[in-house]
Amino acid sequence: MANHSEEELAPTPGQRVAKFLERKDVRQTFILGAFFTAVFVVLGIWVYPHWMPNVLSKEMQADEDIMIWFTVISAPIAGVILAIAMESFLNMHRGDTPPEDGVAIRTHTPVVIIWTSVSVLFVILALVWGMVSMNTDADKAAVNAPNALVVDVTGSQWAWSFTYPAQNITTHTLNLPVDRPVTFNVVSEDVNHSFWPVQLGVKVDANRLSTTVIHTTPVKLGEIDVKCAELCGLYHAYMETSGQVESTSDFNNWVSSIQAQGGTQ
Amino acid sequence: MSHDTEFHIHHDSAEKVGRRERLGVRLLIVADGAFVFGMMFSWFYLRNLNENNAWLPKGVHTFTTASGYIAAVGLVVAAIFHRIGERNHGMRRVSSIVVFLALVIGAVYQWHQMAHMPFIAHDDNGRPFYNGAYASNWVLVAGANMFHYLLGAFVALGLVIRGYRTKLDPVLEEWRQRIAGSWFTWIAVSGILCAIATSFK
Amino acid sequence: MTTLSHAPASARPVPNPKKSLITRLNMGTGIIVGAIFCWGTYYAMRAGRDMTDTHNVNKVLLVSMLMWSFGFLVGIGALIGPFRWLIGKDLTAEEQLYLAGDGQGIKRYFKYCTDHKVVGIQYLVGVMTMLGVGGTMAMMIRTNLATPGSHLVTPIVYNSLVGLHGITMIIAMIIVATGPFGNYIMPIMIGARDMAFPRLNALSWWVLFTAIPVLCSAWFLGGIPTGWTAYAPLSDQAGPGMNAFLATIIIFALSTAVAGMNITTTVIAMRAKGMKWNRVPIFVVGGTISVALAIPAFPTFMLAMIQTGMDRTIATGFYDANVGGSGWLYANLFWIMGHPEVYVILIPGVAALMEIAPVFVRKPLFSYNAAIAGFAGIAGLSVLVWAHHMYMSGWMPSLNGPFMITTEFISVPTGLLFLVIVGTLWRGKPWMKLPMLSVYAFLWNFLIGGVTGVYLSDVPADNYLHGSMFVTAHFHYTLMGAAFTGAMAGLVYWFPKMTGRMLNERAGYIAFWLIQIGFNVLFLGMFMAGAQGQPRRVADYAFAYEHSNMISTAGAYSVGIGMITLLWAIVHSWRNGKIAPMNPWGAKTLEWTVPYPVPLENFDVEPVITSDPYGYGKAAH
Repeated sequence: MANHSEEELAPTPGQRVAKFLERKDVRQTFILGAFFTAVFVVLGIWVYPHWMPNVLSKEMQADEDIMIWFTVISAPIAGVILAIAMESFLNMHRGDTPPEDGVAIRTHTPVVIIWTSVSVLFVILALVWGMVSMNTDADKAAVNAPNALVVDVTGSQWAWSFTYPAQNITTHTLNLPVDRPVTFNVVSEDVNHSFWPVQLGVKVDANRLSTTVIHTTPVKLGEIDVKCAELCGLYHAYMETSGQVESTSDFNNWVSSIQAQGGTQ
Repeated sequence: MSHDTEFHIHHDSAEKVGRRERLGVRLLIVADGAFVFGMMFSWFYLRNLNENNAWLPKGVHTFTTASGYIAAVGLVVAAIFHRIGERNHGMRRVSSIVVFLALVIGAVYQWHQMAHMPFIAHDDNGRPFYNGAYASNWVLVAGANMFHYLLGAFVALGLVIRGYRTKLDPVLEEWRQRIAGSWFTWIAVSGILCAIATSFK
Repeated sequence: MTTLSHAPASARPVPNPKKSLITRLNMGTGIIVGAIFCWGTYYAMRAGRDMTDTHNVNKVLLVSMLMWSFGFLVGIGALIGPFRWLIGKDLTAEEQLYLAGDGQGIKRYFKYCTDHKVVGIQYLVGVMTMLGVGGTMAMMIRTNLATPGSHLVTPIVYNSLVGLHGITMIIAMIIVATGPFGNYIMPIMIGARDMAFPRLNALSWWVLFTAIPVLCSAWFLGGIPTGWTAYAPLSDQAGPGMNAFLATIIIFALSTAVAGMNITTTVIAMRAKGMKWNRVPIFVVGGTISVALAIPAFPTFMLAMIQTGMDRTIATGFYDANVGGSGWLYANLFWIMGHPEVYVILIPGVAALMEIAPVFVRKPLFSYNAAIAGFAGIAGLSVLVWAHHMYMSGWMPSLNGPFMITTEFISVPTGLLFLVIVGTLWRGKPWMKLPMLSVYAFLWNFLIGGVTGVYLSDVPADNYLHGSMFVTAHFHYTLMGAAFTGAMAGLVYWFPKMTGRMLNERAGYIAFWLIQIGFNVLFLGMFMAGAQGQPRRVADYAFAYEHSNMISTAGAYSVGIGMITLLWAIVHSWRNGKIAPMNPWGAKTLEWTVPYPVPLENFDVEPVITSDPYGYGKAAH
């Protein structure tokens, strides 16, 4: 280091930062960082809506939103990591002997503190988002419970059946009226299954002798795929069925037609 | 180890070797402790869940509160007498024999308890099954106690026999006494924990 | 006092303790005695039992399998040490020297050999075998799923492939870094002459060895209907093949407890003079934290297997809701092990990369303390997060929130691992060799694995993602993309010290790119399938998922070809590769100060340490 005369002051933090930003590797890293951040933002916004199926309930929308926005929020972190990695990669030395030693940086306390703090902030943000989303679901479920449509779901090796106690019907297709809250009481006759009406964005395991409960409100018309999301033996892959979110009048017609057949379909 | 062994780890002094043997055994005790923790979890979780109201056996009574403690007596006696022998060189041969006998008798008693448990019911096809989750957990806990008794008896027998050998390194053997003490203490603690758990019916 | 340190191995007389049984025992006698114990038990137990009762079938099979393992250990001489301890006639110096394999050449790899370097090679071969078998199963899985309606295998075979691929890989990955390198390299790295418990070291390897045929026997007994998680009550209901799974885990848990204890004790008690804690190489720290975490974690898995075994043999009801049991008990016990276990897998791979990066960038490891904090924080938090695997199980919805909190917080120490590695890269000029390339692959793979883990840790998002292929893609990114990549980097890095040869570079690069690019295609395709709504562990799927699956399968084939190339490179280089110099990478850790073949007791003179091994670099300006 050059000797400083007594009149020369140590560089201010502002000057240090300016000098830092003048370095070629720092500028290149910033550009790469901006690029990778943009890539992740675009991925988050485009990929999940494109891949994920029809959104038929608020819960499903919340699920999709979380995936989009968590990706967007992670984008700067991904940007930094990939930028530094790429910058390093582009600077490579080929050959049979190692290059000369680099700068002996053993640590840099401000960086460690900033990095840890940003991680903690990110975690808190994700947690708050998740907790709010969970409690909103829970509140809505509590409020809606009294006039909800009740569907008793029974999983068995290897089929789903749905009993609507108020309507006195049992079916293998899951039809639901739009805009009416529904409560699923789920149970299994044998091993663990997992009840997954995909487009409704809810899921719960089916256990023997213990009923588990989930709530949702379908808000859009469309087809529902019902799958099993827990390996349950030989025909787990085929343990699926389908249904519809339909208008209230269509739903009532469907119910009546089954009642006319004797209550089972 | 015999005086003529000076290879590998015995380039180190007996003190160093003894210390690290103790660390190794303590780590294995941690593993065993995790197993016992799992059993306690299983006991209390199923008891509180009381799935299908079937925690308690139907139609037969459970073991008494005291029975778990009686099953642990052998372990406690062994731990105490081992400690006496550790501190008191003169008493060592006698106490090591008492330790061995306490563990053998305790194992026999535990076996007796298991052989006479009343929990096995039969289904419509005449096939046996364990009547209630209490029964399943009880036999597991008793089996673990049994395992501790048997392993303890092996160690105790070794100490008895080695107590009569003259060619062993005294410093290392002193460490072995202490290390065995860790084991006997742990299995006594485990026995008491199991007794406490099984007293919650 | 033996003079073995000073005379070359060829000049020393081969120890030949006369009349000692240990000279006659080896893997062959082990197999013979194991087979005798197994078949003897099998036939003895069948007599007088009604073998139409499945409980009896399970009893006979399970006990016979465990007796195979016990018999093998008897036959290879593992019990001689304890027996001699019992009767107060410990092994003599000559016997111990014999057990260390002194002067026995290649035969010592097939005997109960206590030399940690032999055990390290045995683990390496064992791990490679398991990875090969598991990988073949993976290729069959992806081939079956190439198109919808594809029926390469029937559902029962497919489900068995999924479950057995899973458990084979999990076992292989638990030991992939700490087995070969934790045994061979680590004692040399800390300046020790061997592990703390050399006989237990041999025991941990041979116990693991006995588990391999037991696991393979599942195929001959009808396979398993469960995944590697062996959820109850499906596992209670399963056919005879399930017994092989249970026996394998019980045996494996014993091996891991002993190995974990051995490594931890060695690192705590046998470091060379001057190697204070802040001078210990990071691979050693990471490996020790990993195995120390395994010690309290794996026993609950063993317990869950014993409970399943009891349900299946003596009709207890731990998991039978009719008699007060619950599948939730199984899930809790399993995941109390299962989550720490994935960090047991992850940490050594990352630690290996942290050991490698400074060497190839010629800079010190950035913030050694942050690395320790990262590993320790992960290990500590990992025991508090298990029920995030059970968010959707319905066991206790009120606990979903607390577990979400602990799970999200693991991102903080995990983030420190990234910081250490990118900090090491920063302002460095990397020497582009194969181990260094893996560092970049790791950063990309672990980033994707980590971010997708954040979605999964969020309860509302997990409503959609749980039980879908998204989960499968996430954990392959972390366990394979990060941990396996780290382990392979370790293999290439330490290959010269373990075999005396350099790994063929060209083949290595070809394998690397085929594997990494194939890996990303394979599992990005799988993220797509999962996001589209495909459940996991399905033998077949709806037409909507055909593109994503086709992409995945194409990636899988690239990985498969890459792995075969890597295997070829390893075998070919081991036999005919360029002879390696003592320190080909110019590294500063102790293993590079000993020649190959490494002398029996590693060091002529015990080293004294005066600094950490990251003293690269010119001063900053």
